[in-house]
Amino acid sequence: MAPRIQTRVSNALLPLPHFLHILILILLNSLIMLFTIPFPPILGYGRSPDQASPTNGAAYKHHIPGETNYLKDARDMDLTDTTRPFPNNRNFISESVLSEDLRNEVYVRVVEKKKSLRAVSVELGIDMKRIAAVVRLVELERRQKSQGKPMALPYARAVHEMIPVTPLAEQGERPTFHEPINDLPVHPSTGSQIFYPVPESRSFTRVDAGRVFSGAPAMENERKEKISHPSDLAEEVMQNPGSIEWVGKGANARQVLQPADVRIPHPQLVQLERDRMAHPNERRVVADLHAQRLKRQEEAEKKRRERAQERREKSVKHVEPVGGRFDYRIQDAVFTKETVGVDGRAPWAPGRRYGVPTNDRTRGTVKIPTRVEA
Amino acid sequence: MRNRASNTLSKGKIRQSWSKYNLYNLQRFRSPATANRTFFQQKWTAKAVSRAYHGEQVREGQWKRMFSKRIRSVYPMNTADLAMDDGSKASAGRGSGLQEQGKPFHSRLVPYTQMAFAPLERRLDVAIFRALFASSARQARQFVIHGAVTVNGQKMRHPSYLLNPGDLFQVEPERVMYATGAPKTKFERRESRQLKQKSEKEEEAETEAEAKPEPAEKDEKESAKDTLKALMAQAKTIMSTDKDVLPAKRKQELRGFQKAVRRVLSRSETSTILTDSLESQFSELTLMLKATRAEKKPKDAKKSKDQSATEASEETAAASKKSEDEAGNKLSEAFQKAAEGGEVDASELSDEEFEVLRRALTQMRDNPIDHSKPYATPWRPRDYMSTFAFIPRYLEVNQNICAAVYLRHPVARPGSAEVPTPFGESVSTPAYGWYLKRRW
Repeated sequence: MAPRIQTRVSNALLPLPHFLHILILILLNSLIMLFTIPFPPILGYGRSPDQASPTNGAAYKHHIPGETNYLKDARDMDLTDTTRPFPNNRNFISESVLSEDLRNEVYVRVVEKKKSLRAVSVELGIDMKRIAAVVRLVELERRQKSQGKPMALPYARAVHEMIPVTPLAEQGERPTFHEPINDLPVHPSTGSQIFYPVPESRSFTRVDAGRVFSGAPAMENERKEKISHPSDLAEEVMQNPGSIEWVGKGANARQVLQPADVRIPHPQLVQLERDRMAHPNERRVVADLHAQRLKRQEEAEKKRRERAQERREKSVKHVEPVGGRFDYRIQDAVFTKETVGVDGRAPWAPGRRYGVPTNDRTRGTVKIPTRVEA
Repeated sequence: MRNRASNTLSKGKIRQSWSKYNLYNLQRFRSPATANRTFFQQKWTAKAVSRAYHGEQVREGQWKRMFSKRIRSVYPMNTADLAMDDGSKASAGRGSGLQEQGKPFHSRLVPYTQMAFAPLERRLDVAIFRALFASSARQARQFVIHGAVTVNGQKMRHPSYLLNPGDLFQVEPERVMYATGAPKTKFERRESRQLKQKSEKEEEAETEAEAKPEPAEKDEKESAKDTLKALMAQAKTIMSTDKDVLPAKRKQELRGFQKAVRRVLSRSETSTILTDSLESQFSELTLMLKATRAEKKPKDAKKSKDQSATEASEETAAASKKSEDEAGNKLSEAFQKAAEGGEVDASELSDEEFEVLRRALTQMRDNPIDHSKPYATPWRPRDYMSTFAFIPRYLEVNQNICAAVYLRHPVARPGSAEVPTPFGESVSTPAYGWYLKRRW
C-alpha cells in the first residue's frame, strides 16, 4: 500500500466538479511560483537553480502542490525517495494523512448511516481509534463553522498539498487502505526467551505459547481438544471477557496471555478467513456466517456496555436541590485495605485525614494535571 | 527558562524547528565518528547530539525520570496466515518450524532504539509541533504558556502536560496562521501602520458617503453591467496563471477587486450588508449576480434553446436545491444555482468567466488581504515549510480548525519507527545505551 499523493484540492465550502479542482490546483501553483525569486545559477555546477544540490537550497523554499519536498540525501542525489523527510534516518517515513473527502465520508458512514466503527474500519482500512477521532474532529469542525469561528482554510489547503494524502476512492474504484488495521501489540512478557521442552509428538499452538509466556500450567487435554483453532477463543472472550484465566497472587496476579487471534483489533476477520477456507466457492454462505457472527458480537458488546453503565449509575447518587444550580453526585467511600491503606490514612484515601499533611506542598511533587476530562 | 536553542552554524546542532539555518544544519549533518573513540565517548556524543533535538527544552534530570527502557512495538498480523496455521507449524520439528525448501522467512527488523525518545512525544508542546501547528517546539511552548491551547476544551497552560491517548488539543487558528505563514515584508508592516492611522478618517468618510443620497436609478442597469465587466477583468488578472504579473501588481488588482465588490454591495437594498460578515456579503453578491443572469434567461431561451432544455435544467436545479436544503449549506446552494443557471445563458458571461469570478470571490473571502493580521496576507506558507511537513500516525489532525487528537503512544513496527528523529541508528543506539545505564 504505497501512500498516494493527492492530486486534487478539496474545498469543504464549495462542492466543485472534478476538473475545477485541478484548475484551482494549477492556479494555486502559479500563485506560489510568483513568490519564488529564483537564485542566480551557481557556476561550476551546471544545474538549474530549481534542482536540489548540496549547495543550493532554492528547491526547498516553496512546495510543489501534490508533491513532497523533503531534503534529499547529499551523498546520493539521484535517490528518488519522496517519503523520507530525514536522509539520515531510513526508518522514518512520512505517512499519508486522510484527505478531507475521506474524513467527511467516515463521518457520514458513522453518524448518518449509523454503521459501527468496526465495520467502517474494515471497509476503509482505517484504524478504529482514528475513526473515532475523525468523527470527533469533523463534528467539532461543523460546530465551529456554524458558530462562525475563524478557520485556517488556506493553511489546511497548503498542508494537504505538501504531505502524502490518502484519497477517497471514487465510484467504482477500489478503496485505498490507509493503514494496517490488525496491529498486534507486542506484550512485555514475550520479551524474554524461554527454553521450554515439548515432545515432538505434541502439537504446540499459539494458545500454549501464551500460557508458557505468562507462566500458567499447561492446559488440560479435555479443554484443549475442544479448541480446534486459537480463533475459537476469540468468540468466547468476546462473549465473556471474564473467562480469561488468572495466574499469580497478590500484586503479581496477571491474566494468561491470549493468542494473537484474540488480541488483534479485528478478530472476526480471522474467523472470516477460516469460513472461506471451510466453504470455498460459497460466497453467500460465508457472508451469512460472517454477518451472523458480527451481529452476535455486537449484541454481546452492547449488553456489556449497558451493564457497566448500570453499575456505574447504581454507585452514584444524584441530588439536585430545588432551585439550585448544581447537581451533586454522591458516591459512597469504600473503606478497604486497598482504598484507604492499612492504617486507613493512605495519601490516596478519600477525605482529609488528621495528622497526614496534604501532598501538594511537599518538595518535588508534580502539580500539573495528569489528565483532562473530556 | 532561557532559550539556549540557537541555530548556530558553527556547532551545527539539529533542532525541532523549521528555520532555514536548521535546514542547513540538517543537510550537512554526518553521524559522529566512532573510530579511535571509547564507548563512553561514543555514547556521550550520541546523547548530546540527539538531546539537542529531542526535548532540548526539558532539563536532563526531568528527561531521565521520563525515560523508559521498555519500547512499545506492534506487529501487523495477516489474518489469512493466522487462519491457515494455529502455530503448530511454527513450533514443529526442533521448535523453530520445519524448514521449507526455497522459502526462507524474512522479516524486517524492528528499529527499537529509534524509539528511545518516545516518551517526549507525549508532551503537549512537542505534539503541537508535530501536528504542524507551530514552526518550532519552542514556539509551541509559547503558545501553550500564552493560553492559546486547549486540551479537551479546557485551557491548558502547562507545556509539559503529558497527553493521554484520546486527548483532543486545539490551538487558536490565528496563532497557527501566524506561526506557519510567511512573515510580513517591511512594506506590509508600513501599510498596517498606515491602516491603523487612517482607520478613523476612513470611518468618518464612509459615514458621510452613506448619508449622501443614492444616484439616480435609471442608469442602474447599465452601470451594473459595466461593474460586472470590470469585476471580471480584475478577477481574471488575479487568477491568471501568467508568471509575468508581479506580486505587487496582483495585490493591487486584488485590492481593486475588493473595492469593486464593495461598490456592488453598497447598491443592495439592505444597508447593513457592508458591515456584515464576509460570509453574508458573499452570498448577497452571488444572489445579485444571479439576479442579473435570471433576467436574461427567458430571452436566450426564446433565441436559441428550446423550452424543454430550460425546464429540464430548472428541474435539476430544484432537485439539487432540495437535497442541499437538507444539508443546510446555504452558501453552496447559492453557488450551485448560479452555476446551473449559467448553462442557459452564454451571451454576457460565459461559464468559464463566471467560474473565474466565483473563484476570485472565494479566494478573497477565504484568504483576504488584511493588514491587521500579523502575517503576510494573502496567507502563504513560510519558506522551507514543506521540507519539514509530515504528520506522524499517532496523531489525527484536522487542519481546518487546528485541532488534533493524540490517538495512542508512538510505536515501532518492522522496518519503521513512529518517533520522528533525524538521526540514524548509529546515533540512536548509543544514545539509548547511555540512558539504559543509571548514572545518578
